Amino acid sequence: MNRKIILLGLNHRTAGVDVREKFALTDIEHFEKGLMAHCPVHECMCLSTCNRVEIVAVAKRVPEREVLDSLLEYWAGVCKGDPSLLVENTYQYVDLEAVQHLFTVACSLDSMIMGEPQILGQLKDAYRKAVDQGAAKTIVNRLLHKSFSVAKRVRTETAIASSAVSISFAAVELAKKIFGDLEGTSAMMVGAGEMAELAVTHLRQNGVKDIIIANRTLSRAKELAESLGGEAIQIESMVDRLHEVDIVISSTGSPVAVIKAKDVKAALKRRKNKPQFLIDIAVPRDIDPNINQLDNVYLYDIDDLKEVVEVNMAQRQEEANKARAVVELETQTFSNWLNSLELQPTIVDLVDKNEEVAFRELSKTLRKIGPVDDKTRAALETLVLSVGKKCLHEPICFLKRRTQEEGSAERFIDLARRMFNLDDEVVPNSAHLNRKSQTCAPEDIDKLIDASKNKEQ
Amino acid sequence: MGLLELLHISIIVLYGLGTVLFLTGIGTSNDRLKKIAIWLAVGGFFTHSLDLAWVLVRDPAALNAGKFYFNILAWSVLALYFFLWWRLRLEFLAITALPLALLLFVASMAVGGIRILMPPELTALFFGLHIGSLILTMGVLIMAFGAGIAFLHFNRKLKTKAGLSKMGSDIPSLDKFDRVNRWAVMLGFPLYTLGLFSTFFWYWVTPDKQFAWDIMKIGSLAVWFLYAFLFHQRVVLGWRGRKPAILTLWVFAGMCISLIHHTITFRALP
Repeated sequence: MNRKIILLGLNHRTAGVDVREKFALTDIEHFEKGLMAHCPVHECMCLSTCNRVEIVAVAKRVPEREVLDSLLEYWAGVCKGDPSLLVENTYQYVDLEAVQHLFTVACSLDSMIMGEPQILGQLKDAYRKAVDQGAAKTIVNRLLHKSFSVAKRVRTETAIASSAVSISFAAVELAKKIFGDLEGTSAMMVGAGEMAELAVTHLRQNGVKDIIIANRTLSRAKELAESLGGEAIQIESMVDRLHEVDIVISSTGSPVAVIKAKDVKAALKRRKNKPQFLIDIAVPRDIDPNINQLDNVYLYDIDDLKEVVEVNMAQRQEEANKARAVVELETQTFSNWLNSLELQPTIVDLVDKNEEVAFRELSKTLRKIGPVDDKTRAALETLVLSVGKKCLHEPICFLKRRTQEEGSAERFIDLARRMFNLDDEVVPNSAHLNRKSQTCAPEDIDKLIDASKNKEQ
Repeated sequence: MGLLELLHISIIVLYGLGTVLFLTGIGTSNDRLKKIAIWLAVGGFFTHSLDLAWVLVRDPAALNAGKFYFNILAWSVLALYFFLWWRLRLEFLAITALPLALLLFVASMAVGGIRILMPPELTALFFGLHIGSLILTMGVLIMAFGAGIAFLHFNRKLKTKAGLSKMGSDIPSLDKFDRVNRWAVMLGFPLYTLGLFSTFFWYWVTPDKQFAWDIMKIGSLAVWFLYAFLFHQRVVLGWRGRKPAILTLWVFAGMCISLIHHTITFRALP
């Protein structure tokens, strides 16, 4: 491969939070500029999130080790860290392994919560920055665009991101199954537990309009109401307001049930049977389990939600296998494109050589036929060049096809270069006698062509 | 093969393919298949509309033939489905609409030999009031039937917390299914009332016709009472969810029995 793709990175699996913190890249733009200036790389792109740092670079024609070392040193230098610590906590991939890793990251198969959608957005932002800096060129451009399309394909063809894998998201998803669009619905948070707060935040993000926060300590309720944007009430008046809300999330520390079946029954009557979704995250439980027997009431406790999350997790694992197969297939497709890049210098050399021969033969002919006007000369030039191009059409097509086959690019490119003598190879003096005796003077070749033609006729 | 037969075959093929693709799309969670199925249904519906228009233009007396009512019922099921799809984005109900439209259309081909005798001057009135409103009611109830079954199935899953993972994100919410039920009650009951009582009006205006109670009329009235009960509970007492869904299934079953009974009775008429 002409230019090697190198990927250097660390993530939540290879490095602890202290190391991730130490080597996080806070100023990506300057870092990329520095990489381009101080390391032997043609192009680069860096991604830095709370869970990972990924540095993708396309190396110049220098040994792979040298590029990796310079990248590590520069990274450690910028973060004022020890390079050996970085070596211990990073992974390094080259060429197709690097491509495959980046695809895996884009598809969120390498994320802490598999299938989460944020990583793709973060990767897109990182790529945009690299483009703005001029650090992303041919290979990084293609690699990143391909990563985005692979991620999209994985999301469409597998169910990797179709279900919630956190308690709060599971609650939101269940609410959507009951109410559909949560736009305009209302919720009540009973107690001030952290998980309930998170669930309410998610509900708010999904369109829940009004929020009532009922707590034993009114000052804490007011604090939460300020941060979440809602109304604070005393827990004692919670029952009177129960009929106003569609979703109730309870997480008090009470040893007895705070929401009883008769309260919900009365609230339902006042709501004219409009459905109500109750989520009980407290242990011991806050909501009487018999409430689930009532029509149009859906009660989920912490175990129910955990079960939902576990089932979804298992489902995601199954889907991950399908996603990995897609990633492998797409890596292979990308490798074909990389191989076709290797052919480019050979095509340029072939065309140059062809043009050189064409002009040489044209000048010989012009010498023979004497002076011609500019129009005739231009027509003759076009003629010889187009004959040359037409002759190259089939060999180039053949090479293009063959170089896309796995492992055969190098062999065919080498064969073509030797066949057309693109590297001006001369037979060394030390060569075997048989090889030396084969002369290739133009007159000998002419004779050979004539003899072959006569034999054929 | 004449153009009419060709149209009929095209309708059956389009509805049939749409049904198979939609069911496969649901089974494999393939959105593309579902989309193709809906477009096939749109194509079928368009061809079906052409067919109906052509039949009426060519022979207005087709209104008197029983097979025409099954044909128009199939058409109105899809028309109502497209309406619900437009208003509630309820693509899911194609699971009921497509197979039933296909079944009713094929039935309209098979059910022959029924002739409904109407005084010529009252044909338009009778058709508009009685048959038109009853066909629309049936169409509305077919949609409510699909929505009711879906509501009960998914409601059970949400209540028992079993098999929730199979309840994919493309399944509409319980609230949407309940809204279909609400529409079926709010729209269907007045239509059915109009359809049913126009019969009495017809007896009244038609000379030489004597109204007499028979099992067919009593059956239709029984369905009306059931529907009226559902209407009352839903509108006045605010029933929602499971109970109206179950009751709608009963009303639908009653309507089906009544329809079959009518078909058999009219077939037996000379």
